[in-house]
Amino acid sequence: MPLFDGRVLANTEIASDYYQMDFSWPTDVRAPSPGQFLTVRVSRTAVPLLRRPFGISGFIPAESHPADPPEAIASMIYWRRGPATALLAGLEPGDTLGVMGPLGVGFPAPEPFSVPILIAGGVGVGPILFLANTLAAAGYAPLLLLGARTASSMPRVNAHHHVQVRRSTDDGSLGFRGTAIDLLEQTIGVVSGRLEIFCCGPEAMLRAAHECAVRHGLPAWVAMEQTMGCGVGACMACAVRVNRPERYARVCTEGPVFRSTEIAWE
Amino acid sequence: MGVDLSVAIGGRTLENLVGVASGTYGYGSEYEEHLDLTGIGALYTKAVTMHPRPGNDVPRIVETPAGLLNSIGLANVGRERFVEEKLPGFAALPCAVIANVAADFPEEYAEVTAYLEAHDPNGALWGYEINVSCPNVKAGGVALGAVPRQVELTARLVREATDRPIIVKLTPNVTDIAEIGRAAEAGGADAVSCINTVVGMIIDVEARRPVLPAGTGGLSGPAILPIGVAATYRVSRAVSIPVIGMGGIMSAQDAIQYLLAGASAVQVGTANFVDPRIAPGIRDGIVAYAQRHNLASVSDFHSLLG
Ligand SMILES: Cc1cc2nc3c(=O)[nH]c(=O)nc-3n(C[C@H](O)[C@H](O)[C@H](O)COP(=O)(O)OP(=O)(O)OC[C@H]3O[C@@H](n4cnc5c(N)ncnc54)[C@H](O)[C@@H]3O)c2cc1C
Ligand SMILES: Cc1cc2nc3c(=O)[nH]c(=O)nc-3n(C[C@H](O)[C@H](O)[C@H](O)COP(=O)(O)O)c2cc1C
Ligand code: FES
Repeated sequence: MPLFDGRVLANTEIASDYYQMDFSWPTDVRAPSPGQFLTVRVSRTAVPLLRRPFGISGFIPAESHPADPPEAIASMIYWRRGPATALLAGLEPGDTLGVMGPLGVGFPAPEPFSVPILIAGGVGVGPILFLANTLAAAGYAPLLLLGARTASSMPRVNAHHHVQVRRSTDDGSLGFRGTAIDLLEQTIGVVSGRLEIFCCGPEAMLRAAHECAVRHGLPAWVAMEQTMGCGVGACMACAVRVNRPERYARVCTEGPVFRSTEIAWE
Repeated sequence: MGVDLSVAIGGRTLENLVGVASGTYGYGSEYEEHLDLTGIGALYTKAVTMHPRPGNDVPRIVETPAGLLNSIGLANVGRERFVEEKLPGFAALPCAVIANVAADFPEEYAEVTAYLEAHDPNGALWGYEINVSCPNVKAGGVALGAVPRQVELTARLVREATDRPIIVKLTPNVTDIAEIGRAAEAGGADAVSCINTVVGMIIDVEARRPVLPAGTGGLSGPAILPIGVAATYRVSRAVSIPVIGMGGIMSAQDAIQYLLAGASAVQVGTANFVDPRIAPGIRDGIVAYAQRHNLASVSDFHSLLG
């Protein structure tokens, strides 16, 4: 049953207005895979009303850490931007988190022996971090490109030692000066091997990553966002334009991850 | 004391009067993958139309104060794929399934209903809910559900297409909803349900345009509860067929307001997005209330309002 009450274990600010929340995950709920998401019931009142979707940024199975009774730990990274995320930011260890998940289709495994290049901006950092750490543990040597406006909005993240992290800021206050897409262009120019691109972030970034991939003849996967009602495919709210006769796909069930060439970019 | 929460509509009985509203529970299978649907009385499907509809431009929903504004655009697979892909799953669901039918003009409602009727020999569908909130394409786009004669005609034509229960679903975006309810009854409806969503608009002041590309949308959720209760109160006094109340139900207390106002059954819509297991809990809450107040069945609620 993917509807459960998690227990908040930690809720830490990891950049200005960015938080990481760790919470307990029951052993009878399927383990999430990178790119999948969950929805959180943020209040018991009518305002804010809807559950909110968040990507999963990390997962520690019950076998991998001591807990009595055994339970797994999941994490999400969120940007405090409106009423629901402000309520989340106010939660403290021991508080209850109403969760539904894991939902949706996550990132596919890269081709064997390929070099995965992962790009994240804004709220996309969570799912991409989870993917980077999962791939590193599976023997890949992923490159993780993190973009932010400025140094203070660059989230502090815990990456596996086989993940090579590069950072870019628009104002050059940390790492590469420019957007994560500029950094991607530069990286593609210097890294050899069979490259595969994975991107999560604002739509403009996803589109730019797609165009960059097309220019270089590389496969790319993008995690889309859309306002959600049900989160399980029932309400048709979370549509995204795709290059198919049906015209739209549902982000919550056919996505959030799509092959970038499937999306009908506006 | 045992409480009987069954309701009789058009010669059939729903064992449990709490249903999940059209457009909020898909075809059951979406939630069933995750949850057990036991405890839900009836599933009202997403609208079925003559042809597949891709739906409206995005975004399609936006949260409003205590509400949800949607412009889904009746996105659905159309009657043929409904019959091929959705219908076979209904028999396995633990609840009655009622097909919500939408169309562009009265004859088309009957045609879609007749098609479903012909392709459901095993009776997977309990009955039909006729969504008359759609614009009437043949009458220049005026909402069909706002014109009593059109509603009566639609009910009459659908009545000729099926012997199963017909529920006409009323829109609140009219001057006198009671009159529309009477027209549905005159046309042969076995019940009416109310309300569909309330027309609303929300504007992004920085972009200086409506948040929904369609401009207006349909408002649902707690914000419309009093509108739905008032509509139920007025319609139930105007007709002698059962009224199914909905609009903003988030708790057993809310549902009981509808029953006291004259509803014989209720539907839960937007609340499913907040808690997909809410309908069975609402049923349990109604039972507890009935026991506390010595009410044996839903008709006992109707005489109570002071
Ligand atoms: C698949 C998916 C994964 C996401 N992952 C993350 C994540 O890992 N971290 C993160 O910080 N954010 C993530 N988001 C976005 C997150 O859902 C919004 O930031 C959050 O809903 C904002 O709520 P609010 O009340 O704080 O802000 P509001 O002021 O209510 O909304 C701000 C913006 O958030 C978006 N939003 C609001 N309601 C919804 C809704 N019901 N469904 C989807 N989007 C909505 C809209 O774009 C809106 O303009 C994800 C969204 C999707 C669809
Ligand atoms: C996302 C969404 C989709 C809907 N789709 C339909 C539909 O296809 N047919 C219909 O008759 N009503 C539809 N409705 C209206 C609901 O069935 C219900 O009448 C309305 O939402 C009021 O109830 P609520 O406040 O409990 O949601 C839809 C409502 C929502 C929120
Ligand atoms: S959020 Fe309801 S279909 Fe995706």
